[in-house]
Amino acid sequence: MTRSSFQPSSILFDKGVIRRVYERRVRLALGEPPTLLQVEAANSYARIGAITDRLYITEQTSNVLKLRTEIFAAPILADTRTLRKARYLRRWARRLKEFGFSPEDAIVLAYGSFGVDVDSKMVGVDAIITTDIRLADHYQQRYAEIESRFRNIVRNLPEDYAGLALPQVVTTPAVLQLL
Amino acid sequence: MEKLTVDPNGTITIPPEIIEKRGLRPGDELALVESAEGFLVYQGGLDDSTLEWWSRLGDKERQLATTEARRYESLTEKERDAIWNERADSIEGEAESDEIELPTK
Repeated sequence: MTRSSFQPSSILFDKGVIRRVYERRVRLALGEPPTLLQVEAANSYARIGAITDRLYITEQTSNVLKLRTEIFAAPILADTRTLRKARYLRRWARRLKEFGFSPEDAIVLAYGSFGVDVDSKMVGVDAIITTDIRLADHYQQRYAEIESRFRNIVRNLPEDYAGLALPQVVTTPAVLQLL
Repeated sequence: MEKLTVDPNGTITIPPEIIEKRGLRPGDELALVESAEGFLVYQGGLDDSTLEWWSRLGDKERQLATTEARRYESLTEKERDAIWNERADSIEGEAESDEIELPTK
């Protein structure tokens, strides 16, 4: 991936990124230096926020944030919108699991194609941002097979689903190199 | 990873191959971040949004944030993992009742 090929207009932050953004603020409140993961997550979050306002999180991440301390969580909830699950999201997640992804990773990847922004009626995102380098590498390695499987599945769904696509999966360090 | 050496004037020299690879030019600003693991050098500055968030807080909010931050930092990594794994989504077919039809445009 190059700078010119990474021009996302919609982004899904996985839970790991949001957790580290939250924890970056916790460390700042304590006057403690952040960890490398926290710096990378917070910097990626800020740089992406500068290029698009279509920033999404999953319903589970949203639910966790709503239970966390408001002073840290509220600004993140204000910056982001929550994707809902379209029909067939879990079916696709189960197919992704067959490629060796954990159930949790499979759900996040499936949100990238079947996540719905109810307000704008947009479906799927251009890219998922993650702190999990292994997830991104594994997705990249199996991408051709995943894409072929995805096309087969979408072909057999109602016509409304024909325009769905696979997202890119990009790590926070990669975001800092690309933006 | 590159090793950098501090000279007697406190200056460090970035290897030319890194300068070329990263497209650095004279006058470019790099941020030196003191992290828990040591120093990090960032091209393009720091996340201003975090610092802006902090600067917008009043004294009472900062006190509250500090108290809550202490509470969070006192948790073990396992306890924090449990917080962030609450209400994890099931992948199974019987959980599909919360899935919605695609919106019509």
